[in-house]
Amino acid sequence: MKRTVPMMIAMIGGIIMMIQYFIPHQVSQDVFNYYTEWAPLVGSFALVLGVGSLTRVHIHKIRAKAPNWPYSYAVLIPLYLIPVFAFFLPASIGGGTGKPSVFDFMYSRVQIPIQATMFSMLAFYIASAAFRAFRAKSALATILLVTAIIVMLAQVPIGDLFGRWLPDTGLWILRFPNLAAKRAIELGVGFGMLATCLKIIFGVERGWLGGAGE
Amino acid sequence: MINWEKFLNIDRRWLYLLIAVVVVVPFFIRMGLPVVPSDEVRSIYNLVDSLGPDNAIFIGWDFDPGTEAENQPMGVAVLRHALDRHVPVFITAVSPLGQGLAEQGAASVFDTRIPGNFVYVPWAEWEPFRAAGYVGRDSLESAWKAAGNSLPEGARGWVFEGVDFALLGYLPYFGLVVLGMGTSIATQYPTDAYGNNLREMPMLRAHKNLREIDLAVTLAGSTACMYWVVYGTSRVGLPVAFGVTAVMATDYYPYIQSGQIVGMMGGLRGAAEYEVLEHEGGHTETTGKAYRGMDVQSLAHILIILFVILGNIAYFAGGFHKKTALKSGR
Amino acid sequence: MYETIGLWVAAILTLAVFSFLYKENPLYRFAEHVVVGSSLGYTIVITYQRVLYPRLVEPVFLHGESLVLIVPAMLGLLYVTRFFPRIAWLSRYPMAFLLGMGMGMAFPYDMQAYILRQIQATLIPLYTPGAPWYNTVGAVVIVLGTLAGLIYFFFSKPHKGPFFGFGSKVGIWIIMIGFGATFGFTVMGRISLLIGRVQFLLSDWLGLLH
Repeated sequence: MKRTVPMMIAMIGGIIMMIQYFIPHQVSQDVFNYYTEWAPLVGSFALVLGVGSLTRVHIHKIRAKAPNWPYSYAVLIPLYLIPVFAFFLPASIGGGTGKPSVFDFMYSRVQIPIQATMFSMLAFYIASAAFRAFRAKSALATILLVTAIIVMLAQVPIGDLFGRWLPDTGLWILRFPNLAAKRAIELGVGFGMLATCLKIIFGVERGWLGGAGE
Repeated sequence: MINWEKFLNIDRRWLYLLIAVVVVVPFFIRMGLPVVPSDEVRSIYNLVDSLGPDNAIFIGWDFDPGTEAENQPMGVAVLRHALDRHVPVFITAVSPLGQGLAEQGAASVFDTRIPGNFVYVPWAEWEPFRAAGYVGRDSLESAWKAAGNSLPEGARGWVFEGVDFALLGYLPYFGLVVLGMGTSIATQYPTDAYGNNLREMPMLRAHKNLREIDLAVTLAGSTACMYWVVYGTSRVGLPVAFGVTAVMATDYYPYIQSGQIVGMMGGLRGAAEYEVLEHEGGHTETTGKAYRGMDVQSLAHILIILFVILGNIAYFAGGFHKKTALKSGR
Repeated sequence: MYETIGLWVAAILTLAVFSFLYKENPLYRFAEHVVVGSSLGYTIVITYQRVLYPRLVEPVFLHGESLVLIVPAMLGLLYVTRFFPRIAWLSRYPMAFLLGMGMGMAFPYDMQAYILRQIQATLIPLYTPGAPWYNTVGAVVIVLGTLAGLIYFFFSKPHKGPFFGFGSKVGIWIIMIGFGATFGFTVMGRISLLIGRVQFLLSDWLGLLH
């Protein structure tokens, strides 16, 4: 019941869905329709798991007065406040999901700026890395850096000032040697994905059973 | 005599300051260097430009706020182009955060305080005309004008929800959604993001599944763009175009060459190229945010290249390639 | 008023995150934590509005139709058992359903899109009459470069001899060119994200750009 039955469900379900692809009969289509209808519902409940885990971690931090414990309130308050405002409170005091509302404000004026800015910090780190870490220590590293420089100049309008040959060279690099390299990598990744699919379906890969006790 | 070790161990906050200056200053010095569109972007533009009110496209707002700076201008540019051609647009999102960004992108195109935008007519607002039988685009617009509605100064036209535009929004397990839409869009999206019944919408009645859709443009900051190719192109032959971040763009050239995707906008440059084509095609009065950013991009790239060259000069001139570890600084 | 307050809050939070570049500080930490909670809170609302309400609550509990949907709902609720160690094994059932059937469904589509079409696109003529010389060179690079790249990643045989040895050497050179192109684009991408935030600060917040 604890391990064998889930693995059997995965195997039988996997084989049915693989075969379903090749069978145009209505029964096969019904199986597919049931799956497309049920899977999002089942998957949505994983959100409960995410919310529960996050809450448990931060409440534990607050109780144990762990380092930086006050910041745990900064996680928990918006986590619960946003749904409460969105579902239960009237628009006159900022409820609902329209504009203006706490929901809209937290998304457009808190979430988006913070998340976008966090990603934008990478520009500074790459500038620092360009100076401190990118070394032409070998022929291969040199070819990597030279290619990068050509492509970087080719992708910006200032590259055209060097002559059309620079952007044309950059595009040729992207369309031919880069393509070959990426195709080789993608084929490897593709074969790996297919192998993983088969390993999970046939029970060779059992890592997904972990974290749930015996 | 230059102290190469001290030079290489310079406080990184000076480097951050240099980058900050190089990114801020060019906004005030407009160089206006020309952006030459590539074939990869031109093919997307030409395809959208060949479509009209009898066609329909999907725009997948499949990114999160982290990559908004690159993907949002692409989405706004394609949306604006399609609406100017009166091509009905369905908008979807693979994540909840993406749905909000799609709403913001659409709102920026429907903001009539800015010239060159469109007037958005929500589903409920033209209900009397629907009840009277006006569901074709031309007849609806004529009746709408005859009822005394006029465009504000500078606006490019009306966009009727359910005829020209429908924001379908987020659904999880988007691979299944694309697969399901291959048979029926309305089964996956019985209502749009605002609760309007999709089956009553003229644009859905004319395009019931993905086989009847002429293009899907997916704007992605992750491999979510591949859902459209794997489950759309492979299954029903849906033409797909990518609008991806620069980090991912080089990975998808194989899919252009194989014909699995029509074209690709890569990063801010791709968005700028599309804006230039739109402007040249007369669909916009000016270019947009992405084009504006390309001047800044030019100078920032020059600075990064200088950093690489100077760093290597210092490294080799200081003999650090022969010594053991260079003492690291802050 | 709402817009103005919103603009200032967004700008302050943007600068709070940027302040980390100088030194870690409480304002940055606050922003870092708020975004985690806010993201999940937003996701809860959208997931309920777009999935749970229209696909479960409305048909089953409000209209009493499609009662069979209680089955996936119960299966999904089994996820919660993960919090209780003695019955945590029950959470394997919804995972088995999603993972197994998902893998099975994806298999033929992935095979087609990632493998078959890509191999087909590699089997191209090396010479097309009328094509420019650089396209002909490019076609040779695509065919031989892809093969060399695959040889490089094939670790079941030692990289020695004329085929595996030379092939893997050519492969690593092609791969380095590919990585160089990716690196160039990565720099472009990172700078673009910064340009976006600076545009917001200078244009939307300070109104210095037109």
